[in-house]
This record gives sequence, C-alpha cells and structure tokens, in this order.
Amino acid sequence: MSEAAAVEVENLTKVFRLGVMRSAFVAVRDLSLRVQPGEVYGLIGPNGSGKSTTMKVILGLLEPDQGTSRIFGSSSLRVESRREVGFLPENPYFYKHLTGRETLHFYGRLCGLRGSELREREQEMLALTRLEDAAERRVAGYSKGMLQRLGLAQALIHQPRLVVLDEPTAGVDPEGSRMIRDLILSFKERGLTVLVTSHLLEQMQEVCDRVGIMARGRMVKEGPLEELIAVENQTEMVLENATPELLAEVRVAVARHAGASIVRSGHPRTTLERLFLENTVENTAAASSEPHEE
Amino acid sequence: MRGKKLAVLLLLGFGLLKLPMERAVSARLNQAELLSPFASLELRENLDQTAFAAVLGGLRSLVASVTYMRAYIAFEDGFWAEVDRLYALTTRLQPRNVAYWDEAAWQMAFNAASHYLHDKGTREYTRGALYQQYIDRGIEILREGLRYNPDSPRLWGALGDIYARRKREPLPAAEAYLKAEADGGPAYYQRLAAYQLLQAPDRESWVKAYELLRATYDAGKKFPSVIDGLHELERRLKIPPDQRIPEKASEKKAPSVGPMAP
Amino acid sequence: MKNKAPAPQPARGGHLSRILTLAGATVTQLLRMRILVFLLVVCVLMVAFGFGFPVSSPEQKLKLLKDATFGTLQIFSLVLAVAATALLLPRDVEDRTLYTILSKPVPRVDYLLGKYLGVIFLIGAGLIILDVVLSGLVYFQQQALLQGTEAMLRSEGAPEDEILQQLAQVQRVGLTWSMHAATWAIFLKAAVVTALALLISSFASSTLFTMVSTFLVCVLGQGQELIREYLFHGSFSVTMEKVVALLLAIALPDLRLFDIVDNVIAGQSVTWGAMASITGAALLYVVGYLVVAQVVFSEKEL
Ligand SMILES: Nc1ncnc2c1ncn2[C@@H]1O[C@H](COP(=O)(O)OP(=O)(O)OP(=O)(O)O)[C@@H](O)[C@H]1O
Ligand SMILES: [Mg+2]
Repeated sequence: MSEAAAVEVENLTKVFRLGVMRSAFVAVRDLSLRVQPGEVYGLIGPNGSGKSTTMKVILGLLEPDQGTSRIFGSSSLRVESRREVGFLPENPYFYKHLTGRETLHFYGRLCGLRGSELREREQEMLALTRLEDAAERRVAGYSKGMLQRLGLAQALIHQPRLVVLDEPTAGVDPEGSRMIRDLILSFKERGLTVLVTSHLLEQMQEVCDRVGIMARGRMVKEGPLEELIAVENQTEMVLENATPELLAEVRVAVARHAGASIVRSGHPRTTLERLFLENTVENTAAASSEPHEE
Repeated sequence: MRGKKLAVLLLLGFGLLKLPMERAVSARLNQAELLSPFASLELRENLDQTAFAAVLGGLRSLVASVTYMRAYIAFEDGFWAEVDRLYALTTRLQPRNVAYWDEAAWQMAFNAASHYLHDKGTREYTRGALYQQYIDRGIEILREGLRYNPDSPRLWGALGDIYARRKREPLPAAEAYLKAEADGGPAYYQRLAAYQLLQAPDRESWVKAYELLRATYDAGKKFPSVIDGLHELERRLKIPPDQRIPEKASEKKAPSVGPMAP
Repeated sequence: MKNKAPAPQPARGGHLSRILTLAGATVTQLLRMRILVFLLVVCVLMVAFGFGFPVSSPEQKLKLLKDATFGTLQIFSLVLAVAATALLLPRDVEDRTLYTILSKPVPRVDYLLGKYLGVIFLIGAGLIILDVVLSGLVYFQQQALLQGTEAMLRSEGAPEDEILQQLAQVQRVGLTWSMHAATWAIFLKAAVVTALALLISSFASSTLFTMVSTFLVCVLGQGQELIREYLFHGSFSVTMEKVVALLLAIALPDLRLFDIVDNVIAGQSVTWGAMASITGAALLYVVGYLVVAQVVFSEKEL
C-alpha cells in the first residue's frame, strides 16, 4: 500500500524555555518515528523522557523547534490533520460544570457530529467506557478513573482512524485496565492505528506491534516488538511432531559443537520490562552515574 | 517568539490608527454633551479615594447621587455649612444637571436663610446678616450654574424667584424671568416678569409690563391677576379708554399665577 | 486490514457551528457558576438602595433610581467581562481542558471567538434583563411623578399648554429611548474590556494574573485623559515615564468614550450619529484586540 504513514515524526527537537532567564531545556532531541496504518505503536520510557511532549507535537498542541510531524501525510500544524485523530491526554480534565453526557455532546459537536447520530455515539461511548450510570452527573464529581474513561470516550466519539493515548490506564482499576487493553486489541482488529504510552509494560507487550523506547528525550531503541524482545545470540526453533528420539539427536548434535548449548526449550523471550530496564537504566546511569531505581 | 513580536507591532500600529478615531469620537460626543468634563483638580481634592475611583470608573452620576443624599441628610439635621459643601461637591460632579444647582440655591437662599432669620439662639444683628449672606450664596450658586448651563430656563426662573421673593429687587427678578421664558421656559415666566415690573418705580418698566400683560391677555389667558394688573397699569399709564380692556371680563375664580418650581 | 476505516470525511460543521458550540459551553459553564444569582442579589440590593433613601423631590428620586440601577448595570457588565474571561481561558490551560479541545479539528481562532462570544452573549443577556427591569421601575416612578405634577398643576389652575410643557419636562428625565442607548454603550464598553481580557489571558498563564492586569488596564483605560494630560502638559522633556505613558496611550482603549450614561440620566438625548460613532469605536477596539489576541494565542505553547 502506498498510503502515507499514520504518524510520521522526523528529526523532532523540542526545547522548553523556562523561567525569567529563558534557560533552555531540551525535552525531545532529534526523534524520528513512523507509525504505519493499522499498527499499534507503544512508546515507553521513564518519567520525563519526553513521551507526552512528543504526543503533543504530533497533535499540534506544541510547535516543534526542529523537524516535522505529520498525520496521514498532513502536517500537524494544520487543523485538518486532526480531523481523524482521537487524543486522550494524560490526566485529562473537562469542564466540570458539564455532565458526562454533555461533555461527550460538546466534543462530538466540535467534531462536526449532529442530531441523532451524535446522540447514538454518545450512548455508545458511555456504554463502551461503562460510564452509563454516571452519565448525568457533573464531571466535577468524577473520580480519577472515571475521568480517564470519559477521556477515552471523548477521544473515540468521532470514530477516528488514529487514536493517540497517553497513559490510558493511569488510575484505572484492574478491570478497567483490562477493558482498555481489550479495546486496543479490538482497534487493531478493526484496522485502526494506535499510538500509546503506558508504564504497564506487561500490557504493552500484549498489545503492541511495535515499540519505541525513549530516555532523556531520545529514542534509544525502536522496532517491531517481536524482534526487540527476541534474544539476538539465541535461536529459536519451533518443531512440530518432534519425537523424543529426534530431540535427543539434536542435543547430541549441539553437544558436538564447542561453545554451543541448549539453554532451555520453550519460548526464548525476554520480557519487555527487562528490555526497558536494560535500555533506559543503562542510559541514564551512563549520563548521571548515580544508581537508578527504575 | 515571532508571534509575540508581530503582536506587539500590531498593537502599536493599531494603537496609532485608533488615536485619531478616539479624538473624533470624543469631540463628537462632547459636542452632543454626552461626555462629562473630566474630573477637575478641585474635584479630585474634595472627593475621597473610593469616590474618585468610582468617578473615574464611569459611576460619576451615582457618586453625585450619594453626595446629594448626604447633603439632604445634612439638611434634615440643619448643618448648613455641610449642606453647602456637599451640594457644591454634587454640582461640581454633575454641573450639567440643573436640578442640583436649583436645589442647592434653594437650600441656601430659602431654607438656610429662613433658618437663621428665625434662629432664637443667634443675636438679632447677626441673624439679619446671616439671612442676607445665605440669600447671596444662593444667587452665587445659580450664577455659577448658569455658567455651565447658560440657557437653562429653570435656573433663570430660580434666580428670578430669589430676586423677587427674597431680595425684593423687581428689576433683576424681571430680567431673569424674561430670560427664562425666552430660553423656552413655561409661558408663566412672562407673567411673573410683568408682575415684577409692575412693582418697579419707573414708568419705563410699567410700559414693558403693560406690553407683556396685554400680549398674555390677547392670547386668551384672561386670568384675574392679569386683568387686575392691566387695570392698574391702564390707570398708571393713562391709556385712552377705548384701548382699555373691558371691566369685569373674568369668569374664573382667582387662581394663582401658576405653579412655582420649588 | 479487515475493516478499512471510512475514507476521510469531507469537512463537517463550519467555523460558525464550532464557535457556537464553544460559546454555548461557555454560557452553560458561567450559568452553572451561579453568576445570574449573584446578579439578581446585586440587582435587588441596588433597587432597594434606589428606593429606600430620603430625597426631597420625586425628580431626585427618579434620578437616584436610575443612578443605582445603571450603576448595577455597569458594575455587573465589567465584573463579568473581567472575571468570566479571566476564569475561562487561563482555567482551560491550567486544567488542561484545552488539550482535548484543540486536539479536535478546532482552529484556535474558533476557540478564541467561541469564548469571546459566550462571555459577550451572557453580558448582553444580563444587560437586556436588567434594562427591562430598570425600564419598568423608572416607568413606574415616572408615572407617579407625572400624576403628582399634573394634579398639582391642575389644582393651581394652570393652562393646558403649560401643563403639557411641564409634563414633557418630567418625561425628559423619565424613561427615554436614550436610556437604552446608554445600556448599549455599557454593553459596548464591556465588549471592549472582554476583548482586552482575552488578549491578556492569551499570553498570561494564571487566572489571578489575568484578572489583576485586566483590572489595571481598565483603570488606565478609564484614565486615558489623565495619561494624555500628563503627556502633553508640563515639560516636553523625554523621560522614561513619558515613554511609558505614550505607549499606554497608544495601546490602551479610551474607555471613557463609552461613559455617556451620566448625561443620559440627566436627560440628554443620544443621537443616531453618536450611537454610530461609539459603536464604530467599540468595533474597532474589539477587532483590533481580538486580532492581536489571536496572533499571540496561535503560537501559545500549551
Ligand atoms: N510545558 C512545559 N514547560 C517546560 N518543561 C516541560 C513542559 N512540558 C514538559 N516539560 C519537560 O519536558 C520533559 C519531558 O516531559 P514529558 O511530559 O514529555 O515526559 P513523559 O515522558 O510524558 O513523562 P511521564 O512518564 O512522567 O508522563 C520533562 O522533563 C518535563 O519537565
Ligand atoms: Mg507523560
């Protein structure tokens, strides 16, 4: 398919100038990433590594200092690029004087939805995020997890082709967290593109097709999940209908080669979590030389 | 950054553009007497801070109402110096409001003056002096008010009243009444002027009074007082009998000359 | 892909409908903050003030009533203009509500205009309600005054034309069309102040800062004459203060242009020409400040 990438960030650098002295702080440095249509892309990294900043640039909420960002081929600086994106920011908050349903109505109208179509979508989203019981309550009284669910509902109200989720599971109970995981899997099934960050690496490992690991504003590791978590100096062989005799022969053959050995049989994988720690802790430790607990 | 610079430039450019517009609009509104003159230095010194801020904030009329009420309360308590001060402040806040000038003068020339005239606690001689002093203060207030509102029939009428009823000076009273009528005041000012002229010692005034009353009479306003005045003048001026008005033409029963403002 | 997502839809919902949606949310929000209840309380207080004080003449009573109610109108509109705007935009930034709004296909100018229209609409509606109440009260008082005057004149046997003349005099300080023109001028002033507040909040980062500086700017705008006096009288030397004063004179609106209400209360009538020129002035200010606000806001880092 010659379709444009769902998200394409090239050589992005984002600098914040803080305080009276306008001292510069580089939040994202020379970062590139591509999310193909239909892919679930996971962005992981320690706190303050620049994940949310990258997402805000993709959504056009921040302007890049260098580099470009495009959504389905259209520059993030253009309003049109946001027509088919649903965004759930971290710790979302809404007009607290509106009820949950009114909030969805408001966002739906901003996306150009109207009338019975909009009402149906509202109801669907409330059901999807299990907020039906709280629909007529003011947002001011919502708990953290409820706000998160409402944020998800508003991100999906206009049936976007790309969903950008910044820590969708933060503050959500285990059941809700599983629900969100299932939701992402169903997006994948329906061909939606997802860009997601989370600190729940186990879940990320379950849903992502591709991951990028960020640390200190840089992309330190990036690629298809399967490749990344494969152990490079090991080889996996999947045999079908292998008899014990065949396995014994293999063992003997391996033993004949000096240096080679069978570590174990089964699935030779590391976890995403291990990979994460290896990459990020190493990286920060190299920079600050103090032991890091992540 | 680019945007900030652009914004500042835009703001300055737009600001330079708006200056002539402001001048034009301000001139137009001033001409239509829709803007109040800016707070004078004197006013700034006489108002407390809150009141001055309110005046600046466009609540001048409200502040004037408050000082007016305070003046009225001072009047009820009989603190005449305070009454004078607060009315002065009120009129200065809204010099184009003739009602304030009118009432301020009336308070001085009628209420305060009468109060001192009958004040048992003051010596006879002082009473007379204070009486005259407050009447003159009333005239002074009206003359100041007339500087801001030179064509106000109400203020000219009030001035006529003070000269007629307090100073008992028919000539300036008649002059003021005539000005009041000429500036669009009610027609009865013409009659009031005539009655004043009737009381003047000179023949020239009587001629003028006769003309005024005759015009009123010919306009169909045949009040007893008009007829009585005309008869009196016909005698004094020795008008030939064929030009005189008929005797006893009146059907109405002695109504007064007309309403008086205060 | 099993179920290919729908092809990009054509642009749905124009600027206007988005702006109205944002304005509607703004109005709902302000209404639910009980702003109208506050308004009602102030209203009752002011009217009580207008009725319950000693005054010598019914004419003064009428003026006092008008002063009190127009004062309410002015204070209400300005407080709402400053507070509502300052509460809304920086709040959206502080609460991060803006992230979800601007990540929808909403141009920033739509957001700004939506907020502006919402506040303006509420001020306008409040002023209409207050104007109706005020007109009713003044009419009521004026009728009483007219009847009293007429009865007095008739008992004195004044001729008919003179009675009419006197009654016309009373009517001049009673309920007039110019009073509604004065309300319009108050609205225009509030519209200008709202635009200014929006401009300030487009670069400010906190509610408090916006409120305080808008208030300050209002005071300075009200005292433009004082600034000009300072600039053009006295020595012609160029000092730092003079430069600052000049910049203020250039950048700030002359809010006193809208203070016609005092003289309207005193019975001055407002011509169509005068109405047109203050409306034009307000329009110029509003457009100018909104354009600058948009320039600042369009590149605001969220
Ligand atoms: N508006 C801002 N002004 C100044 N600095 C900022 C701003 N936003 C983010 N930063 C800084 O940029 C860096 C990256 O922040 P970012 O929010 O992108 O991290 P993150 O990877 O999302 O972290 P977390 O996992 O905690 O959400 C942080 O050091 C943060 O302090
Ligand atoms: Mg984050």
